[in-house]
Amino acid sequence: MRNMRGDAMRGLAVFISDIRNCKSREAELRRINKELTNIRQRFRADKTLDGYQKKKYVCKLLFIFLLGHDIDFGYMEAVNLLSSNKYTEKQIGYLFISVIMNSSTEMKQLIIQNIRNDIQSRNPIFINLALQCVANIGDKEMATAFTHEIPRLLTSGDTIDPVKQSAALCLLRLHRTSPESLQLNTEWTARIIHLLNDQHLGVATAAVSLIDALVKRSPDEYKGCVNLAVSRLSRIVTSSYTDFQDYTYYFVPAPWLCVKLLRLLQNYPPPDDPSVRSRLNECLDTILNKAQEPLKSKKVQHSNARNAVLFEAINLIIHMDCESSLLVRACNQLGQFLQNRETNLRYLALESMCLLATSEFSHEAVKKHQETVINALKSERDVSVRQRAVDLLYAMCDRSNAEDIVQEMLTYLETADYTIREEMVLKIAILSEKYAVDYKWYLDIMLKLIRIAGDFVSEEVWYRVIQVVVNRSDVQSYAAKIAFEALQAPACHENMIKVAGYILGEYGNLIALDLRSTPMIQFDLLHSKYHLCSPTTRSLLLSTYMKFINLFPEIKQHIQDVLRHDSNYRSSDVEIQQRAIEYLRLSEICSPTVLATVLEIMPPYPEKQSPLLVRLKQKKPLMEAENNSEPSVTTTTTHTEDVPKFAETAIHLNQQQQQQQQQNGLLVSFDTIESNTHFGESTSYSLPSTITTTETTIQSSKKFLFKNSDIIFENDLLQIGIKGEATKHILRVEFYYGNKTNFNLTNISTNITLLDELESELRLNLEPIKPTIDPKAQIKQSGTIECLQEFRDLPKINFSFL
Amino acid sequence: MIGGVFIYNHKGEVLISRVYRDDIGRNAVDAFRVNVIHARQQSRFPVVNIARTSFFYTKRSNIWLCAVAKQNINAAMVFEFLNKMIDIMQSYFGKISEENVKNNFVLIYELLDEILDFGYPQNSDTGVLKTFITQQGVRPITREEQTNVTSAVTGQIGWRREGIKYRRNELFLDVIESVNLLMSQQGQVLSTHVAGRVVMKSYLSGMPECKFGINDKITVENRTKNQLDSTNSTNNNNPTNSTTTTTTTKTAIAIDDCQFHQCVKLSKFESEHSISFIPPDGEFELMRYRTTKDISLPFRVIPLVREIGRTKMEVKVVVKSNFKPTLIGQKIEIRIPTPPNTCDVQLLCMKGKAKHKSSENAIVWKMKRMGGMKESQLSAEIELLPNDKKKWNRPPISMNFEVPFAPSGFKVRYLKVFEHKLNYSDSETIKWVRYIGKSGLYETRC
Repeated sequence: MRNMRGDAMRGLAVFISDIRNCKSREAELRRINKELTNIRQRFRADKTLDGYQKKKYVCKLLFIFLLGHDIDFGYMEAVNLLSSNKYTEKQIGYLFISVIMNSSTEMKQLIIQNIRNDIQSRNPIFINLALQCVANIGDKEMATAFTHEIPRLLTSGDTIDPVKQSAALCLLRLHRTSPESLQLNTEWTARIIHLLNDQHLGVATAAVSLIDALVKRSPDEYKGCVNLAVSRLSRIVTSSYTDFQDYTYYFVPAPWLCVKLLRLLQNYPPPDDPSVRSRLNECLDTILNKAQEPLKSKKVQHSNARNAVLFEAINLIIHMDCESSLLVRACNQLGQFLQNRETNLRYLALESMCLLATSEFSHEAVKKHQETVINALKSERDVSVRQRAVDLLYAMCDRSNAEDIVQEMLTYLETADYTIREEMVLKIAILSEKYAVDYKWYLDIMLKLIRIAGDFVSEEVWYRVIQVVVNRSDVQSYAAKIAFEALQAPACHENMIKVAGYILGEYGNLIALDLRSTPMIQFDLLHSKYHLCSPTTRSLLLSTYMKFINLFPEIKQHIQDVLRHDSNYRSSDVEIQQRAIEYLRLSEICSPTVLATVLEIMPPYPEKQSPLLVRLKQKKPLMEAENNSEPSVTTTTTHTEDVPKFAETAIHLNQQQQQQQQQNGLLVSFDTIESNTHFGESTSYSLPSTITTTETTIQSSKKFLFKNSDIIFENDLLQIGIKGEATKHILRVEFYYGNKTNFNLTNISTNITLLDELESELRLNLEPIKPTIDPKAQIKQSGTIECLQEFRDLPKINFSFL
Repeated sequence: MIGGVFIYNHKGEVLISRVYRDDIGRNAVDAFRVNVIHARQQSRFPVVNIARTSFFYTKRSNIWLCAVAKQNINAAMVFEFLNKMIDIMQSYFGKISEENVKNNFVLIYELLDEILDFGYPQNSDTGVLKTFITQQGVRPITREEQTNVTSAVTGQIGWRREGIKYRRNELFLDVIESVNLLMSQQGQVLSTHVAGRVVMKSYLSGMPECKFGINDKITVENRTKNQLDSTNSTNNNNPTNSTTTTTTTKTAIAIDDCQFHQCVKLSKFESEHSISFIPPDGEFELMRYRTTKDISLPFRVIPLVREIGRTKMEVKVVVKSNFKPTLIGQKIEIRIPTPPNTCDVQLLCMKGKAKHKSSENAIVWKMKRMGGMKESQLSAEIELLPNDKKKWNRPPISMNFEVPFAPSGFKVRYLKVFEHKLNYSDSETIKWVRYIGKSGLYETRC
């Protein structure tokens, strides 16, 4: 602000001090109103004002605007100021339009014209003012208006360096606000790239930012910048800090330019040209070397600048991921930082190490620091650093050190912050499964995990435990044993009860011979926890009891008593009630052989991607990028919904109350009929299937307990099949009549009769059928049967033909 | 149950803070300052609820008075209390200003202790308060005075102590009315009402009983009926009396609602429609009333606004006085709003002084006095800065004045004083009656 002393605006100062002295808001408003009228008087069309006055009043308007009042005039005067030849006036004009940009188009055209004049002027100060303004308020319109002017400024030989610098930044800004309206000719590409070689470091720094943005838009067009960037980098790195007078920051030569160049290089793969490549490696080597040198200053700025360059270099090394020596050196360097006193440095070191751990070259090197990282986990005061340490441990884990790391993480879990516990639980579960040599060890870990941090164990974790147990027959008895032992603890977490309940239900027989865990003891132990559990767990336990009836017929009576108990049989929870009723009936009706079939041991689950990884990714979207290098993780074929499905099949019998679409069999369908029409007893599961034409075998209606389609009658002439699908109380049926003979069956008629009460209990609606069936052919009759009430008798079909 | 009372200066500094209940925390003082006094947007509501605490406030000349309550209390009661408090403070030390509040803070705390007890308002009669809260400092009170004070505070007639004696028994009655009007451009009355108060200043000895008569429609009708009955029964007819009744019958007014000072015996008013009371000593407000019918509007404003192009506007305003030529209106001020994009105003007026006040965006035309049935005119040329953004919404022209009659037609018919013990008769007391009509919100659209 030169020339300012000559024409200090006294009126403005007085006005501002007046406003500041106002005692109340009303007084302020009055003063402003007065001033506005005054300014309006001055700005009247017929009056002529000199530049100084205009500037003063525009300033006042600006001040009033900044106080939060609306300004609806004075734009014209401000735009007039733009065309002034005095720096101060021009500056105020630019300030005004940058702060109060009027959206009216005619004004905008005028402003753009003025800016264009300034950009084309010879005075670099004016050009800079204009560029600054464009950078501040630049929008689509301006981007199109100046799409040629600014690159020309940037690339022409006779513009001075500060203008170039501004032009580069202005262009960057326009590119950010409206990339689509900024059309850059390809002829400028080479010139813009060559700015990297500019004598003036400031221009180069500004240009790197611009090129970085342009590279992201069209990487191929700007490929040439790699060589230039490498050479520029090597020139900076190899020179002494005394070479750059203005651009040395606390003994570090041009740190910002270095960082930006390194970042620019991360947009491309490692250079193909061996000479360039070796030069780049040299640079990185030098940077790593410099980090070993003693500090030249005790000031924090010095170390900050040095470390910034170093970290960016390490990022580049990780990005290239091809020089094992560099990677190892970087790793060692980071290892040193792990013990640094600066918390930020430790954080960054851990973060970079996480990336290093995923590279095959440096994985081993990272593992050397396991001890330090574990120490960091234990002693670190900053929670974010601890979180990074956990991430790193997870990343560096492999088969050799899994046992130690999992053990350490488990120990830490007990004292960990609540915010990271769930994530840690997932990580422990994944690691212990992934690197488990001995699945007994895995089970130990998992049960311990549930014991320590039960609240943070999500559904997926314990589903997974069960999947593993079911799929591995060698650990099943061990699993039953330790689950039983875990259950003996006085206070059990609910997740533990779920796991134990499931495992004992499946494999309780494997430990039943032991006197310490006879069937009765197992049952009593489980049942002692029953009343403390939530309804979902209770229903799971009911299924377990049912399985016990199959496994240990000797305690059947006992279990039936439990099922019959009011709290289950008449539970207010529909799910529990339904299970209790159905299981009880099942145990009463079915023979042991049928029971054995129904309650068979679960078949192994199909091996899929562990849902835990999916879950972990959901929890931490950040992880995704890191995990991308592991092919096994990136697949997204499985949905998390798989898991509840597993659980359902595991429970095996009707969860269907909630999920009607998953009905497995007629049994279920009829069941739902019962429960929906609210009848307590559920006896007649049978479908009407008596046939009265010729002497026939009456098929056991009970087979519909398990199937929803079957042949209900068959002889040499005829086959009758039925298929049903129930939604709530309506059964949609299809009868299939098959002609087994070699001649036509004619005069066919079917008639379903409902005897006595059945009439009021069922409602039939069947479509008529064709009177003939061709030889070896089948006809279909479909219809619906609506259940109005509970029924006991069976409807009869009369089928006649000639 | 008022939890506390705070007084702030215009900057939001606390001058007085008195907390009566424990449910009001220390931060309540700051909460009000932050959310109301220093609020970005000026608060337009008299009651603000901050963190489940209600703040009731009024502002008097840069001083904020705020009552705080945690419970759900009667807001009207709180505002009545706040206004009463302002009255009391004014009668103790005059104008309410930061300076005065600071100088009298001991007195204010003393008053606050007396007029609120655990948040419940107590006796707030200035006359009574002045008997035991004095500004003279501590002086020994005689036993007699003490009993007087006690009986005054606890007795049946709490507003008047016994044994008052004056050499001259004198009383003053002021009928003060404020006229509110909204008139359309064409001179059609859109809404109007008068809010009036009867203020009495009594200097009477003993315990006088007063009877007050007004020209209220109901009372007047009652009376004429009685009178007719009596004239029918007895031929002893008083001619003056009958003429007064006939004249008053014509001008009887309909009072929409009214309220009385606590000294008025409401039971008598209910049954006989007569206002009888034992007045407190000194000044008090005897009654308040409101009327909406048959209001004689003292002034009429006729505006004429012409917009000439986008940069010029012409305004012509005619004021007509509409009352008896013998009377004179005073302190007349007409405020004509100007558009916000005004840059210059040329004024020409026949009478008084007119000025464009740019700080308030208005032309202010003042006349010291104006006789009845007269007319005056102002013309203004307003130059505008072209502005296509918003249209000016033309706020109404407002007016202030003072006239020496009651625009509602309210008349005091009699005020009789009876004092049986001391034996001075009604005719010996000197009575003064004065009528003042003021402007309330007196607006004409333009």
